[in-house]
Amino acid sequence: MASGGIGVDYSLKGLPRMMPGLIVCFILGWLALQWDSSIHQWSGSFKEAGAILKDEKSGKPLLPYEAYKQEKNARYAEKREAYNAQLDAHEAERALASPADAKQLKAPDKPKKPHILQPADYAQLVEEQAIPGRLAFGKLMIELQLTYVAVLLLGGMLVRNTLGLPEILRAGTVAARPLIKPGIVILGAYYLWSNVLKVGVFGLIMVLVFVLGTAVLISLWARKAKVDDGLSGLMSAGVGVCGVSAAVAVAPVVNAKPRDFFYAIGTILLFGTLGLFTFPYIGQALGMSQPVFGAWVGTAVLNTAQLVAAASWYGHESLLTANIINIVRVSFIPLIVLWAIYFYVVKPAAAAGGSSEKIDPWQVIKDKFPIFILGFFVMVTLNELGVFTPDQRDILGKELLKIFFAVGFAGVGLNIAFDDLKKAGGTAFMIGFVAATLKAVLAAVAVIAIGTEFFSVH
Amino acid sequence: MSDNSEYAAKAQQTFSAERKEDIFVLILSAIAVVLVMTGVIDKDTFKSLFF
Repeated sequence: MASGGIGVDYSLKGLPRMMPGLIVCFILGWLALQWDSSIHQWSGSFKEAGAILKDEKSGKPLLPYEAYKQEKNARYAEKREAYNAQLDAHEAERALASPADAKQLKAPDKPKKPHILQPADYAQLVEEQAIPGRLAFGKLMIELQLTYVAVLLLGGMLVRNTLGLPEILRAGTVAARPLIKPGIVILGAYYLWSNVLKVGVFGLIMVLVFVLGTAVLISLWARKAKVDDGLSGLMSAGVGVCGVSAAVAVAPVVNAKPRDFFYAIGTILLFGTLGLFTFPYIGQALGMSQPVFGAWVGTAVLNTAQLVAAASWYGHESLLTANIINIVRVSFIPLIVLWAIYFYVVKPAAAAGGSSEKIDPWQVIKDKFPIFILGFFVMVTLNELGVFTPDQRDILGKELLKIFFAVGFAGVGLNIAFDDLKKAGGTAFMIGFVAATLKAVLAAVAVIAIGTEFFSVH
Repeated sequence: MSDNSEYAAKAQQTFSAERKEDIFVLILSAIAVVLVMTGVIDKDTFKSLFF
């Protein structure tokens, strides 16, 4: 089933049943992060090795390893000293300037720590006068975007659909998927309210136009095509807003049958899975910047886990943008339920000359609001108040986040079953799929037209 | 109709599980923040997990 949407009851009673699968997801997550750390290390070393060979060709002799290391560190120390002097000058200038001018002054760029080759790689480079094979392999893996995200999703899907998933692991792998959500919450440490509001305003426009537009389009089209209200209601909520969460919220309103639920989920899953594996490559082919890609997947990919995975696959900046758009989008679940109530209950009742049961919109909003996003807002506020140091921000928003995501993605990958995808079918599937594709294409055009500046989180 | 009401009840039950899941997520996030703020998890922790 689709991730991040069907609710896992983490009670102590259920823990023994979940433990085996959770442990497997933790192990797989760790292995994937180890892989990620290695390929990034190798890719960085590839650049450094290339620079060393270039210097050597232009006449600079290859130094012994210790001398090479010392030279790199000494050059870095010089840059740090120059940076500190520039920073002092900058602070002095800021102190003298008016508040408006002070905001315009650009702080000097902090020098990056040098990438120093590992002794074994350096020795091989000196001996063979060529870049070691594993460094080239690391660079290739990064170019192909085969980071921990791809490894977990592709690997998990492969295992699930070839070897299968033993019954003993099922509950735990399902329980691992929502562990993506704490990652979304703690990523809040990276934002200021100005970022959230800037990107959020554009996110709101995108959500209003594309997400609600898709929900309305599917409802109207499906009614014309004489598709059951139950199925079209689920499809419009699921394809329009947020996969399974929205479909679950709308199900009682539209009197959905279990069969409708499986059809709708099959369609949502199929499109989401296709999007997850193709959008990062489409984004790259279209030359989308990271923020633009984040805005695109935030609008076009159908559920939280899949869009977080696609955005993480593309890069951290992309994730920062996609996260805000997703927060705006999932906040719309109660509104979609209200739309479903109007379209499938109130309107038909009025047309038949009768009256529908009185519905309290506030109660709907209260019941259906995904409260975990409040945690995200608390984190943004804490960051705005200066509670986190830069190191703490990095630990929360990059390192711990990766651990949560890795375990969650292991669960997502292991739960992509082709049997579930096959449940999609019929006219409703065609309508849902065409609407989702249309949304993705139009959203791509819109985000490219709006541009990087409006979606970037500094 | 009985099918529908049974299913509606099941959907409601699923949604209540989602609410519990969200509360669990908030608790887990709070624990993570406290561990980082108190220095139990510091900038060397992540690196030390890998070769």
